[in-house]
Amino acid sequence: MLDVAPTALGHRLDMDGVRVRYGQTLAVRDVTLSVAPGEILALLGPSGCGKTTLLRTVAGFIQAEAGRVLVDGAPIDRLPPGKRGVGIVFQSYALFPHMTAAQNVAYGLEARGLPKAEIIRKVEAALAAVRMEGFAARKPTALSGGQQQRVALARALAIEPAILLLDEPFAALDRSLRLDLQLEIKRIQRRFGVTCVLVTHDQDEAMSMADRMAVMRAGHVEQVGPPTELYDTPATAFVAGFVGTTNRLHGRVEARDGMGYAVRLDAGATVMVESPRGFAIGDRVMLCARPEQLTLRAAENEDPATFPARLRLSLPLGPALIHDLEAGSAEVKIQQPRQGTPPPPGPVRIAILPGAKPSLFPEGDSA
Amino acid sequence: MNGPGVWRLALPLGLAQLMFFAAPLLILLGTSLATDEHLREGSLRAWREVLGDSFHIQSVVNTLRLGALTVLATLLLAVPLALVHMAAGPRLKRAILIAAVLPLLTSVVVRTFSWIVILGREGVINSTLIATGLSATPVALLQTEPGLILALTQIEMPLMLLPLIAATARIDPSLLDASTSLGASLARTLSRVVLPLALPGLIAGSTLVFASAATAFISQSVIGGGRLNYLPALVWQQAMVVFDWPLAAAMALTLMGSVLMVVGALNLLGRGARHA
Amino acid sequence: MSLIQRRGLLAAGLALPALGARAQATQMTAAVYPGGWDEALRAVLAPRLLQQHNVTVAFDPLFAVDQIAKARAARGTPPFDVFVLDPGPRVSGMDLGLFETFDPARLPSRGVLPAGYADNVGAAVAAQVVGIAYNPQKVPKPAGWRDLFRPEYASKLGLTGFGTTFGTISLIEMAKALGGSETNMDPLFAELRRIRPSVAAVAQPAAMPGLFQQGQIDVMYTNTYTVTLLRSRGVPIAFAVPESGAAAFVTTMHIAKNSRNIAAAYQYIDAMISTPVQTALSLDPYFFVPVNKEVTPGADVPMRSISEITNFVTHDWTRINPLRAGWISRFNREMAG
Repeated sequence: MLDVAPTALGHRLDMDGVRVRYGQTLAVRDVTLSVAPGEILALLGPSGCGKTTLLRTVAGFIQAEAGRVLVDGAPIDRLPPGKRGVGIVFQSYALFPHMTAAQNVAYGLEARGLPKAEIIRKVEAALAAVRMEGFAARKPTALSGGQQQRVALARALAIEPAILLLDEPFAALDRSLRLDLQLEIKRIQRRFGVTCVLVTHDQDEAMSMADRMAVMRAGHVEQVGPPTELYDTPATAFVAGFVGTTNRLHGRVEARDGMGYAVRLDAGATVMVESPRGFAIGDRVMLCARPEQLTLRAAENEDPATFPARLRLSLPLGPALIHDLEAGSAEVKIQQPRQGTPPPPGPVRIAILPGAKPSLFPEGDSA
Repeated sequence: MNGPGVWRLALPLGLAQLMFFAAPLLILLGTSLATDEHLREGSLRAWREVLGDSFHIQSVVNTLRLGALTVLATLLLAVPLALVHMAAGPRLKRAILIAAVLPLLTSVVVRTFSWIVILGREGVINSTLIATGLSATPVALLQTEPGLILALTQIEMPLMLLPLIAATARIDPSLLDASTSLGASLARTLSRVVLPLALPGLIAGSTLVFASAATAFISQSVIGGGRLNYLPALVWQQAMVVFDWPLAAAMALTLMGSVLMVVGALNLLGRGARHA
Repeated sequence: MSLIQRRGLLAAGLALPALGARAQATQMTAAVYPGGWDEALRAVLAPRLLQQHNVTVAFDPLFAVDQIAKARAARGTPPFDVFVLDPGPRVSGMDLGLFETFDPARLPSRGVLPAGYADNVGAAVAAQVVGIAYNPQKVPKPAGWRDLFRPEYASKLGLTGFGTTFGTISLIEMAKALGGSETNMDPLFAELRRIRPSVAAVAQPAAMPGLFQQGQIDVMYTNTYTVTLLRSRGVPIAFAVPESGAAAFVTTMHIAKNSRNIAAAYQYIDAMISTPVQTALSLDPYFFVPVNKEVTPGADVPMRSISEITNFVTHDWTRINPLRAGWISRFNREMAG
């Protein structure tokens, strides 16, 4: 156990209008984000979206062109990486291959000139916290990927950082190992109460680890909020597509009643959708519906809120059934609880599940 | 391919080594212990003359010192260059690599003779010194040990730089970030991370440069001249001019033995460092 | 394409018409000094030999000492048919029994050689005249060997040891000038020890022309060939005949013991001393000193005909050779530091 009481840790991180330029291109465009004490924020986005650049800017490896990075309200932009109170777990773990696990963990403490006895005590505590106390004398090459990651985590935590940065920490691991380690890291993070920024391109990872996620695209943040909020009410079609699976159905606004819109889908149905965004009658729109927001109806159903489709395949996936359909030129996926026998392939109709709230975006707000 | 007979694949090379390396070495040993190259009578005269004569011992010392100083000089220049290479962008990296390899494309003889042009009394260095007023009279460089080391440093540099760059290029750049973010100074990062990881390259380079500089017959003769005595030229002289083959053989074995001893020590050092 | 390959093709082109009419050419191998000799003999002698005798010759470029070492290591099966040697190695080769007995009567051109230039060991094919070379723009002309030990010359002098014939001869001449003799080098070594710290260079013989060209040294002992060659390349250099006289020696060719091409070897040596070959070799860019009485030596050679060579200082290599190993090793030690 580290000396500081877990609850006493926890520092606030603010990124305020951070802009980073690589030559001619803006890698990070005026990003403002806050991470509350003890919170895990996931930076999620496709490769090249600027999430790693932002992380490295916080770490101090990259100098921002504009904006500030603050810890507990104090700017750290002028500080070198080693003086920022930031611990990092690298994607490759970056363990020093010529040192044992214990020497790796001790490295940052030695650099700080701590007394030998204290170093030994803190190394033991840090390795114990990640349950690696039995591997202190091993070199990284004699450790599995998961064990290396724990050592890397112990090394980053040993210096008692205010902020812990995790750069794609699970990318190099087997999928089967990831969930266990995600839970483990979250458990350790909770115990230490350390504020954490996680960079990932894997939405499942972000969903299971993060208190809040920030979806990034082309250098800016598209939406930030709790994972469920991003899933349920994506701010943009991009977020809808990147977080979870979505069906894109094109159509046109036919009528409006306050926040309710009647949308005539190209696939052949007129549906009622609520949206906080304002559309005019005649606007082309894109309806983004989650697979579980749609349902199957019989081919003979004549409800004008349904549209025809052809069921190609039904796959059982644990407790759920995934239907793969073709509606005109659009591909549609529907997920529903697995009950009874699945319908045979062939013509069916699709309806929006009563009570479901699919999102409406202007057409051309591409993913 | 993994059967018990796989060792047979090594047989041709093994036999070739035996015939073309071990056998001549044995003949050399035999010659050194004989009165002449016909090996009819045994004698320790050659060995007494090599090991019991302060001139020859001094030549051994000179030869080893030349190797050691050349290693030192190439290290001093190659290590910073390898670090620059490590930090450089791809274009500068390529430029450094080409500059490192380029000298290898010119023969040692040409490189050696061009050093006469540089080091000579009316050479490039002296002309510059005199033109800039740094020295009123030519500085003796040619035919001095410092001049020879200077030339050998350039001639042997690729042998140091290439293994070193190969080693530093394998260092994961995120290790440097990790070290920095853990609070290490540049000096600590270099001494605790970069240097230990580059050590295999340093030792390989040092071994090559030492062995090559200590036996650089042409450079030693042409740039070092007759006032500096090194074993390779003495071996050549005894074998080819004086026709004292037993003495030449004993000297050649002394040269080989002393170079091997240093190379072995370097390797031990490398192994020790890896286990530390 | 290298110069050598091009020459080879030229030779082959010349040979083509002949090949149609004649039988397969005889193959032989000759050792030749690397550099100038190699170039000259490939260009002048080889085509002549093919044309006259239908013999193709392969050259093995080796210094004299290397030829002796190689023939000696071969132990009975000669690696080449003909040696080309200076007096010292010639005596070594005789002592080691490396040569076939030579019959001068088998050289149709023997009449062009001065008396005694072909014997039962071999035949002389070129002469060398050894003296002092100096840079006339830097130093006044030295009068003799003793001058080299005066400070104004010593500080610009390039020394080379007993490893070569011209080096040995020059050092012997210096010893004689300093009160020693052909067998007594003590006065020489005493003087060398005195000037050692100030001499401009102590170098391998092959490095001397380069050092002179670069201005590292302005005085050296060498042969007329080197002087002429360097001057043809624009180096300010002149040849001084010492007051005690220039030293001369001849380069000889010998047939290797157990050669399987003895007839071709005689034809090779005969072509070498023939007037057309000796004339071509004495001119630019080869500058050989001819042994053929019918050929006039070049301008730098201080004689009008090879007949005058009897006026030059010559040396008894049977007396020099046994002492030479000791001198070589002593020179190493005296110069060390």
